Amino acid sequence: MEWNEELQSFTYPCPCGDLFQITKEDLRIGEEIARCPSCSLYITVIYNPEDFDEDKSKGKKQGNIIQQPQQQIPVA
Amino acid sequence: MEEGSRREEPQKEEEIWSWGAGTDGQLGTGKLKDELLPQLLHLPSLAASAAGSISMLACGGAHVVALTSGGRVLTWGRGTSGQLGHGEMVNCLYPKAVNSLEDHVITHVSAGWSHSGFVSDGGCLFTCGDGSFGQLGHGDYSAYSTPAKVSYFVNNHVEQMACGMRHSLVLLKGSLGSQVYGFGSGKRGQLGISVEKIKSANLPRVTAGFEDIQITTITANGDHSASLSVDGKLYTWGRGFSGSPDINVPSCTLPSLSFSQVALGWNHALLLTDDGEVFMLGGNRHGVLSNTEKLMNTAPNHLPGTESSSFTSELFILSTSLFLCPLTSFIFLVLITVDGEVMTWGWGEHGQLGLGSTSDETDPCLVRNEKEVVAISRVYCGSGFTYAVKAVD
Repeated sequence: MEWNEELQSFTYPCPCGDLFQITKEDLRIGEEIARCPSCSLYITVIYNPEDFDEDKSKGKKQGNIIQQPQQQIPVA
Repeated sequence: MEEGSRREEPQKEEEIWSWGAGTDGQLGTGKLKDELLPQLLHLPSLAASAAGSISMLACGGAHVVALTSGGRVLTWGRGTSGQLGHGEMVNCLYPKAVNSLEDHVITHVSAGWSHSGFVSDGGCLFTCGDGSFGQLGHGDYSAYSTPAKVSYFVNNHVEQMACGMRHSLVLLKGSLGSQVYGFGSGKRGQLGISVEKIKSANLPRVTAGFEDIQITTITANGDHSASLSVDGKLYTWGRGFSGSPDINVPSCTLPSLSFSQVALGWNHALLLTDDGEVFMLGGNRHGVLSNTEKLMNTAPNHLPGTESSSFTSELFILSTSLFLCPLTSFIFLVLITVDGEVMTWGWGEHGQLGLGSTSDETDPCLVRNEKEVVAISRVYCGSGFTYAVKAVD
């Protein structure tokens, strides 16, 4: 994942064209899920809790892309 | 020109349809929203450019690069990394000509997650967009908002470029035979340049192993790379499929088979043999195959639901490598049958299946637009969006 200054988050491309995002604050409190604002996909983030405090450019990896169970939305 | 006749070369008209994710203007509809059904585009700038019909499209993360038969380039969609090449870092809702390339006749275009590549008939390569992984090949990690020539190839003739998520591949033609180069992110071995992993390269490096092999096509997507040789052998490198180890230098894949086309997604690959059979590598989740229990790690699988369709080799010559469209998303697929019907299946949350809903589909479904089957000759996929081109005589 890369640090995105504008979004103030670590990001990684989502197959839908948007970005998976997770903030430093999320990581600090132990959050492991980076979500996509445009769709239900998410990824798990693997990181070393000590790393991200010092240098924001290292230590971030991501796991597999996961989709949440989806509700069918019927279109009339 | 016949005497007394002012008739010009008759131009085939085309219909261009788009559907799927659209919030960055990538669908060319002028509206910043997803479309669940194929939308027929009215693109006056394409007609006005008087540069002929569309010879190819390249669809990236959220942008589109269009090449006309007259060698002109138009781009639209997300432009915040400079990938549109208009000299600014903003999105563009409609096709806009890349003016800085107007002195060149462009013969090939490509699009990655946030970068673009353009090849001229003289064999020059131009790139623009995000460069933070070195994927532009200019020797730096800067973004470029206008296409810049890749000076490394000044004495070579570039024939093709392929863009993955953050890496690029280049195919040269010359008296020494074809050669493949890679630059950009190499963390998954996708540059194919060394048995040891290279984190990134911001200048082109030779992809290993093709010294005595004539490569005709290169393709890239996600962190995968692939090529086809003149005798139909498939080579893959980069991120492994279905949890297999990454491959750092090109490896002949399924050597007993002879392939005519390969299309890569982020997590899978679709392969077409000379006999018209379709195989898949990876992609064993999210319903891309109906029966996932049959899957083994990298064993190829016939796609269920396609056994009864006939995929003739003639159709593939017409639609080039995009019969099996370059599948940026790992979780939806598009096929064209011999009758020009479009079939889609997989993840449908952004309407990218073009079926009128956001439901997922586990089996191939026919794409229709309000009861009219869209008879299509070429299909192109970006991240969560799809373009289809239909020639109309």
